[in-house]
Amino acid sequence: MTAKILTFSSHGDTTLLEYDPATADMEEVNRVIAEYEAKTGAQPFDMATGERIEKITNEEREVLMVHPIAGG
Amino acid sequence: MLPVVLCLITFLTQTRWRFVFTGMGWRWLVGEVDAPRPRQNGLLEQGLHILAPPGWAVVASEAERVDGAQPTGQENRAQSCLRRIVALTGATQKGNRYVLDVGKTEFSVRNGYVGRLRDVTDPKCKYEQTCFYSAYKGMPKAQQIATVLLQLTNNPALFDKWAAQSGAYKADGQAFTCAQ
Repeated sequence: MTAKILTFSSHGDTTLLEYDPATADMEEVNRVIAEYEAKTGAQPFDMATGERIEKITNEEREVLMVHPIAGG
Repeated sequence: MLPVVLCLITFLTQTRWRFVFTGMGWRWLVGEVDAPRPRQNGLLEQGLHILAPPGWAVVASEAERVDGAQPTGQENRAQSCLRRIVALTGATQKGNRYVLDVGKTEFSVRNGYVGRLRDVTDPKCKYEQTCFYSAYKGMPKAQQIATVLLQLTNNPALFDKWAAQSGAYKADGQAFTCAQ
């Protein structure tokens, strides 16, 4: 069983990270996600519930990084 | 007699050199025409053949082919993502817009626009509308709509921030300024 961190991009949905939640270092996963958020502003959503999540645990199987939206 | 002879010599010399240079020019022209060139299909490729070495043109040619072949697949993937988010958020499609209920508030999202009825139970409630776009350039429209549906489900107050047109906001409502 693997877990995925995805994001929307110009090429469709792109996999940013794929890991085994049973053995993965979740601190490391969250560090990578925090770096991605700092760079792009994207924040994680659980694709099972559609809810935004503060911290990724080994419970989530599919996480979508959602990019910021601007009004115009 | 002497000036006439001098003029004749000058004339003959100029004429001879003109033939020599014209001949060289002709050979150069023939050389350009005969040089093997790959087949040029698109305007972009032709332009790159003029501006860049042949290796670059090959890359451009492949890029052009990829760009020409992928849109259908990309659109399908983007639409598939949108359908999944629509199901996840409980939104409903009505024509070209997606209606999302969050409590008493109804949002109507379509390509680049989002509308809001703050309280659907109040007949005097005004319909408000604002534009939106993704801070991530190049994101397909279907995925932008999916992003808006997800964000509004979790944070309906984002609508007011977008309506204020004061930049981009993260899903949690924090302002985002691209550092790059």
